[in-house]
Amino acid sequence: MNRRKNTAAIFAERARVVGQQAFDAGQYVLKLHAPRCAAAAAPGQFIHLRCAADLPLRRPYSILSADAAGGEVEMLYKVVGEGSRRLAACRAGDELDSLGPIGNAFAPSPERPNLLLVGGGVGIPPILFLAARAREDAAANYTPLVLMGSEIPFPFDVTDSSLPFAGVANGTRATMAALERRGIAARLASGRGFAGCYRGHVGGLARQWLDAAPPEQLAATAMFACGPAPMLQDIARIAAQFSLPCQVALEETMACGVGGCAGCSVAVRDDNGGIAMKRVCVDGPVFNARAVFG
Amino acid sequence: MAGPMASGHDSRLAVDFCGLRFSTPLVLLSGCVGFGDEYTRVEGFSHADAGAVCLKGTTLAPRTGNDPHRLAETPDGMLNAIGLQNPGVDALLDDILPALDFSETRFIANVSGSTVEEYREIARRLDDSPIDAIEINISCPNVREGGVEFGNYPEPSARVVAACRAVTDKVLITKLSPNQADIADNARRCLEAGSDAFAVINTVAGMAIDAGTRRPVLGNNRGGLSGPAIKPVALLKVWEVHQVCKPHAAPIIGQGGVACGRDAIEFLIAGATAVGIGTGLFYDPLLCPKINREIAEYLDEHGMENVAALSGSLEWNE
Repeated sequence: MNRRKNTAAIFAERARVVGQQAFDAGQYVLKLHAPRCAAAAAPGQFIHLRCAADLPLRRPYSILSADAAGGEVEMLYKVVGEGSRRLAACRAGDELDSLGPIGNAFAPSPERPNLLLVGGGVGIPPILFLAARAREDAAANYTPLVLMGSEIPFPFDVTDSSLPFAGVANGTRATMAALERRGIAARLASGRGFAGCYRGHVGGLARQWLDAAPPEQLAATAMFACGPAPMLQDIARIAAQFSLPCQVALEETMACGVGGCAGCSVAVRDDNGGIAMKRVCVDGPVFNARAVFG
Repeated sequence: MAGPMASGHDSRLAVDFCGLRFSTPLVLLSGCVGFGDEYTRVEGFSHADAGAVCLKGTTLAPRTGNDPHRLAETPDGMLNAIGLQNPGVDALLDDILPALDFSETRFIANVSGSTVEEYREIARRLDDSPIDAIEINISCPNVREGGVEFGNYPEPSARVVAACRAVTDKVLITKLSPNQADIADNARRCLEAGSDAFAVINTVAGMAIDAGTRRPVLGNNRGGLSGPAIKPVALLKVWEVHQVCKPHAAPIIGQGGVACGRDAIEFLIAGATAVGIGTGLFYDPLLCPKINREIAEYLDEHGMENVAALSGSLEWNE
């Protein structure tokens, strides 16, 4: 009996920097020409980048968008340490060692076409990627609803929404301009009191929509979230309260990024109620919220 | 020297390791490549580019390992404190070994324990398995009991080796700790106790501190340092152990921060028969074919017949 080998689905590429766009508070959108990664990438997956020759460990960045035809992927990141600081210094034409795409992806089901997507801070990119892919999936008839939270200015143009968002107070109208143009309903939350944003945690916004949703709508809804651990815990609790399936994408420090070192393992409940150690890189980063948070 | 075919490699790269033929001197190190199939996710990666693959440390019962964080980047290297997360020896025997492709490379088991009896029992079970060799890990710095508690002192090190020797005819490789006063004395005692070969060195004990929180970065507080930062330490330890091994023709897997062909060549010169690749794979998962090529080029440039001629060729300054 031979165990099936893994399919070689991670590509080592010299990725060329196409450009970077800077936003407030050290946030950047990096566009890379990495055609094999771009062709295969799905929402929830990440790319593992060597940010500088003298920085030994690669950094995982979740993918914001992937354009298979153009061979380009985009990552949204915030400068938090030496790796991201060096990445922010990259200019068009620079080349970076990349490995990707890595990990599993969010898995929406056509049986629950209402996708309540919740992103917080640097957890926003896979949520936007999932919203875009869900909208493009004509066969499944998904309705993505996007909620995003940030305690620093949002890394995109913000505008007032004319798309309805049930349960949310009229004053909460701020949305991402690019989503509004595509007809995807979204709302924003922040404790900072930004104009048009819900004041508080993004989980509070999710709760407003869920409280207002009729039972038949709830039965057609699934939740997907990425963000800091306290936010994910809050979203997991809300999902459990409303008996909704919920998938969360986790972050952890990584070394190899391909499942070899177990450096990114987290404790997850298995199907039998026991504890299993799962690697965020290849067993995740997307997990069932209940398995992670109970 | 039956074993995996040279798979297209320059036959000058092949080395004899205690009667086992390694098609190249490169050994993928325990703890870096899981249980053998993880890197096959990367397009272009092949086990055949390494002479042997050392599987993750295995204990008698499954272990969940340490709490996060388990990793910290350091200047020219990294600290890890995984804590021997593994599914236990039964899973290794029943699920993992039957699925490995031994036609590609050699596979080495790495055994660890909290007691001498645990080491012995794992070695005994592995004796009747297809594994090519057993590495005795008496130098893991990241578990509370066992590991380096044995490896930092010659007497308990030799006791673990003797216990394993008594129950297996497999090639025994003892992985030595750099965190001890006299690694050569330890190697001498382990040879007497029946070790066939050595892996030199395991990680160097260390700590990273978050000044903001005034706490250690690692969940386990302490960890093991690897990467280019430890290469000079490792080179010296390999040379020291080689002085003990030379009269007995006991081979060494030299390891510690190898990130390019030149690094591997330096370890061979210092006295290693084979060269371990660990943290270097995290930098570049396709590192092995590059190192193989650079070693072959070095042999050409220096008119050397094979890798064996390079091993231990260091000219010590008088």
